[in-house]
Amino acid sequence: MDRRSFIKLTAVSGTTAALASCGNPEHQLIRFVPDEDIVPGQAVWKPSVCPLCPSACGLTVRVMGAEADVVRNGKAGVVQILAAKKLEGNPEHPVNHGGLCARGQAAIQVTYHPDRIAQPLKRTGNRGVGSYEAITWDAAIAEVVAKLNEIAASGQAGSLAFFGRSGSSYRNALIGEFLARFGAPAPMSYDLFGDDVLRRANAVSFGFAQLPTFDFAQSRYVLNFGSDFLGTWNAPVSQSRAYGDMRQGRRGVRGHFVHVDSRLSQTGASADEWVPIRPGTEGVLALGIAHVVIRDKVRPAVADRATAAIAGWKDGLPDYAPERVEEMTGVKANRVERLAREFAGGPSVLPQVRTQPGVAVIGGAALAHTNGLFNALAINALNALVGSVGVPGGLAFTPQLDILAAAKMTGRPTPAASLRQWAADALSSASSVQALLVDGVNPVFTAPRAWKLRDALAKVPFIVSFGSFLDETSVMADLILPDHSFLESFTGAVPESGSAMAVVSAAGPVMKPLHQTRATIDVLLDVGRQLEKPMELPWQTFEEMLTASFAALPAMTEGSDAWTDAQEKGGWWGEIPAAVRLKPDTASPVRLKADTTSVVSGLSRTQPEFDGDAAQYPFHFLPYPSNQFLDGSTAHLPWLQEMPDPLTSAMWSSWVEINPATAAKLGIAQGDVVDVTSAHGTVQTAAFLSPGIAPDVLAMPAGQGHTTFTRYASGRGANPVDLLAPVTEESTGAVAWAATRVKIARVGDGDGRLILFAGEFREHQEHGR
Amino acid sequence: MLDTSPQSASSGGLVLPGQSTAVFTTARAGFSDALNDFIGRHPNKPEQPVEFPHKTHYAKKIACTEYCHEAVVSGPVAGLPSVRTCMVCHNAIATDRPRIKQITAMRDRGEDFVWRRVFNYTPQAHVKFNHAPHIRAKVNCTTCHGPIHEGTVAQRNVDMNMGFCVNCHNERKAPVDCLTCHF
Repeated sequence: MDRRSFIKLTAVSGTTAALASCGNPEHQLIRFVPDEDIVPGQAVWKPSVCPLCPSACGLTVRVMGAEADVVRNGKAGVVQILAAKKLEGNPEHPVNHGGLCARGQAAIQVTYHPDRIAQPLKRTGNRGVGSYEAITWDAAIAEVVAKLNEIAASGQAGSLAFFGRSGSSYRNALIGEFLARFGAPAPMSYDLFGDDVLRRANAVSFGFAQLPTFDFAQSRYVLNFGSDFLGTWNAPVSQSRAYGDMRQGRRGVRGHFVHVDSRLSQTGASADEWVPIRPGTEGVLALGIAHVVIRDKVRPAVADRATAAIAGWKDGLPDYAPERVEEMTGVKANRVERLAREFAGGPSVLPQVRTQPGVAVIGGAALAHTNGLFNALAINALNALVGSVGVPGGLAFTPQLDILAAAKMTGRPTPAASLRQWAADALSSASSVQALLVDGVNPVFTAPRAWKLRDALAKVPFIVSFGSFLDETSVMADLILPDHSFLESFTGAVPESGSAMAVVSAAGPVMKPLHQTRATIDVLLDVGRQLEKPMELPWQTFEEMLTASFAALPAMTEGSDAWTDAQEKGGWWGEIPAAVRLKPDTASPVRLKADTTSVVSGLSRTQPEFDGDAAQYPFHFLPYPSNQFLDGSTAHLPWLQEMPDPLTSAMWSSWVEINPATAAKLGIAQGDVVDVTSAHGTVQTAAFLSPGIAPDVLAMPAGQGHTTFTRYASGRGANPVDLLAPVTEESTGAVAWAATRVKIARVGDGDGRLILFAGEFREHQEHGR
Repeated sequence: MLDTSPQSASSGGLVLPGQSTAVFTTARAGFSDALNDFIGRHPNKPEQPVEFPHKTHYAKKIACTEYCHEAVVSGPVAGLPSVRTCMVCHNAIATDRPRIKQITAMRDRGEDFVWRRVFNYTPQAHVKFNHAPHIRAKVNCTTCHGPIHEGTVAQRNVDMNMGFCVNCHNERKAPVDCLTCHF
């Protein structure tokens, strides 16, 4: 709308309102006495923890007086509250050092979202329709207690299931304790883009089942196999900052960065060199590089467990001579030789890497193949070979707090089934699943359709959701007991990576709850107390649990204690006492030991397998976590919807990336509507012509295509998960999301579904108006 | 066209119990206040929820900055007292006076004053005023607010135009750079 019509509209609506109010007694504002002491016009900054991804970045929140509409004693009015106004990175926090990504900036909209669930709800219509009625907290909790009593009385405590969040946090620890004391299995956590394959590989290679922390700031050469470490992978804020230091933070040294991937991602676009590679052959290239390093004795090999796990290592990897590698990966033999010399360092190469070997990174699609474990182990071995593990400029593992030990938790729930197995069990005729609790996650949206998770949920007699929004999973719930937003509650998480020293991100609430919500942990503790056989957990509230667990940590400042420090600073960091430090061989979060048999079977898969016949489905399909929405969990935040994608500038939409040469052959133009089809489904979306993608690959961002997820995300775009084959990496059961083949067909001209912030479409519109 | 409208036909358009459907938030005490504000009309002596006698309090040697406008020393706005501030003293003092009874009753109902603004700049002036540096420079309240301590309900009896500000800034050798006030 232009300025002129705005003024006219204002005049018209103002007059209308004035006329309408004639004859009515003026409705006077009621202002209620505020509950807190507010200094007008002045902001205070309080620490918090970003909830949107497991990196658990520290926040500082600007809190100021604000007015809220409330109803008190049946009268509507306004009241002054202290409200969060802006999120920034916590400058003291060792993971993000004051930085915050765009998603983190938008996290404040979680709290103020107009479609946030404001009070407990009980289902009235059919499941999935979304019709709910209001219910009181007491009645809602009584229903949960009655159901759990019934399950316990019938001796089927093991049939209670829990969909939890991923990552190591006090919340998850307490949920585990709750389930253990009830007799139920551990919470299931499912992440489409989770890195379980890499955790497993790191457990085998290095004894740490966790994601690595890279010292990019001191690296001189980074060889990245597929990870989007500047955008969405691992701890992106920490990595972006370190990457900046690597490129520009040292006098006279600019670290070199090579990106190996079949698609030029946001991270790839920052690289000095892009090495396009056949999908799934990243491990082969790594071993080709290792072959050259060993053959030419570029750098004395370092003996390590990681290298021992690779077949043929002792003989110098004869199967991975550069010519063979060229056949398998499509990367030219002389390029392999050059990359090897540059990576290992030595006298004849780039001046900046003479003194120090490079570090290899693997993530993203390289792990999401049927041979993902092989790829990961090969890259681990390459790092071990040149000695880039545990040295400056290399990779290391962040020491982890053992929350269970710190909180003196005794219960150890039985391990959970995989989500796929659980869904199959729930669908089988002999199903014993009695109840399901969902902690704000949305696996119905992200699990391969062949798992039939939605149908499985439909068969569960009782589902409770603690989520703050109605999404594809929670719309199946019988009861919704909405959690506080992260700004309204206590938070505590242990970042898996992103810091050289141990970190616990934790904070108290920065504002009072806006709605009739309750902290989920407090609800669980309440339920535990009210059961016929009370759980007798030692804490009344989540805050008590945090206070008690922080007693195991030393104070950061003299004369204080760790919990007081943490609430002031937004966390605790330092040297973890040995008693509460996770031991490497039982490292969180999967707690596994190197299991030789599965390693061998994982390693026998050196070549990727793809779902779909290559003749019928000629393209590799590469979904990727979107910079705005990750796997779709942040698609409800309008700031992220309107944020242009860094590479395509697309916003509020979905698209499929196709190489311009391929598109020309198929008669597809920019913005055309296309059908992308796999053996498992079809999605209709717009084509985006991108030179940064291999000719036989189609890439599509995840996150859009929600059917139910607030007014901003529902019915918008398409979900690439609809195409995914239910193929998994064998040793971990992780979805091999890059292992599906697809075909593409033009449906018609562009219909405006692709919205670009910059580029020819916008210019078209502006010139043509 | 950019279609960013809510998908009202899909389930995203659901309104669940307890969710607000309001588009506008209450920002003014009533419609006439909003209209006056919109057309830039500000009464010199607006009607206030209680007739607060400034002179009585000044006579008892209660400084402006002590209880009622305490934020004036530390920040941009002085702040207006809530019912709770009154009750700090009036829980015990002068409890038999009708106005105090009125305030006590408000407190008991959980209601607060809806003060009406007396001093203001028009939005077109683009002035950002910060009280705290003026207090630090020992500018007396009455310099800008007039002899409020001699009256009852606050009224605007000083015309705060740009000349008024600049004269004083010149006299006191305070900066008169445009960006001092217009930023």
